[in-house]
Amino acid sequence: MDKEELKNKIYAFMEKYKGKKKLKEKDVCKGVAEETGVTQDEVKKALREMIDAGRLMYSYGGGASSVEIPSEEYLKEKGLA
Amino acid sequence: MPKKYETPLLDELEKGPYPSFVKEIKKAAAKNDMAADELGQLEKSYRTKRGYWKHGGIVGVLGYGGGVIGRYSSLPDEFPNVAHFHTVRINQPSGWFYTTAALREMCDIWDKYGSGLTNMHGSTGDMILLGTRTENLEAVFAEFSSRGWDLGGSGSAMRTPSCCVGPARCEWTNINTLDICYEMTQEFQDELHRPAYPYKFKIKVAGCAVDCVAAIARADCSIIGTWRGPILIDQDEVKNYAKKGMNIKAEIVDMCPGQCISYDGNELKIDNSECKRCMHCISKMTKALKPSGERGATILIGSKAPIVVGSLLSWVIVPFIKCEPPYDELKQLIRKMIEWWDDNAKPRERIGELIEAKGMRSFLEHIGVDPQAAQVKFPRKDPFIFFKDEDFEKVYKK
Repeated sequence: MDKEELKNKIYAFMEKYKGKKKLKEKDVCKGVAEETGVTQDEVKKALREMIDAGRLMYSYGGGASSVEIPSEEYLKEKGLA
Repeated sequence: MPKKYETPLLDELEKGPYPSFVKEIKKAAAKNDMAADELGQLEKSYRTKRGYWKHGGIVGVLGYGGGVIGRYSSLPDEFPNVAHFHTVRINQPSGWFYTTAALREMCDIWDKYGSGLTNMHGSTGDMILLGTRTENLEAVFAEFSSRGWDLGGSGSAMRTPSCCVGPARCEWTNINTLDICYEMTQEFQDELHRPAYPYKFKIKVAGCAVDCVAAIARADCSIIGTWRGPILIDQDEVKNYAKKGMNIKAEIVDMCPGQCISYDGNELKIDNSECKRCMHCISKMTKALKPSGERGATILIGSKAPIVVGSLLSWVIVPFIKCEPPYDELKQLIRKMIEWWDDNAKPRERIGELIEAKGMRSFLEHIGVDPQAAQVKFPRKDPFIFFKDEDFEKVYKK
């Protein structure tokens, strides 16, 4: 699968769970790998590229870290909006 | 800057012979509004017996999932300068050795972007910089990283490994704690900055069982220096200790957890086969006793402070492992431990808790370490090794 396509799949996966469940990096890797048939390592690499570019972000709440779709405010703060 | 708040309750903490954090905050408050409001809010907390910090949220630098801990005041109108009061963790050098120039540089950056308040050091080991605003985070990070510093770990990640001063200053160390700590920090860079674990994971390296970094109480994985040879005894120095008034029976013999020391008033003897390598006798009779033979480390697993559920002390997993660069065996062992934990743990479950829930056997099988007597933590209470059919077959074949 093309990397951009994989990134779009990851984004769609994140949107599906937005506001419903806090997803750890591993949850995303597992879930997307199951959906798409690509390896978890490939998903992990694509996911991290998305985080580095600000398309996704790390968050922290309730004592645990998770991955989220960034808010407009966050993107503005990072100069990405 | 004139005094902004009256702080009669905090002033009480300046009295007495001990160093006072209040005194230091007041010094910072004289030139920094953030520190002044921090003082005001703290006084209010002491008055009302309530905390006014909100924790967590979405703060950090781009690409990193750790190193910044979000902190907000729940009274932003009353104390506007601490409306944002985020903590930044900076990865400390091994053994906490700095030049004064490095410390000045760090404090100058923090005066520019933050409250000027620091905590040297946090319980994980990082340098803790207290209080900055969200919009300053990228600038703070850029300033520090351009000078060779990096953020430490926070959240569900590998936490910044830490170690004792080791061979740099201590004659008792059995391993190069500084090098091991540095190597572990490099090995787990990705896991340190990108939180992907069920919860935190801490590595601490102590040169000997005196354990100056409290690895046995705080670290998920403790690496503690040890030795294999006998304890060497200088009987003349033993006599000197006795002459100077040491009660060798009470202070050394009776305190030995292995009960392997005897003293007839003239000569000290040690049954090394029963020695637990606890360092008590060596640290008390520095001139008379010293370890000898092969050096390495004992690996322990599972300690934690009492957050979520109760506290745990570490559990011996590998009684002796050679610790020489590039530490491949050690790195592989730690990766296997983490793999088992990551595959099985619930969110916010530390590895020690998982071992208690799932059993030591499953853990040992995954990491490929054979059960040994030295791993038994509570004899006759919780046996975790059971024989399988193939074990009996092996015996019958013999």
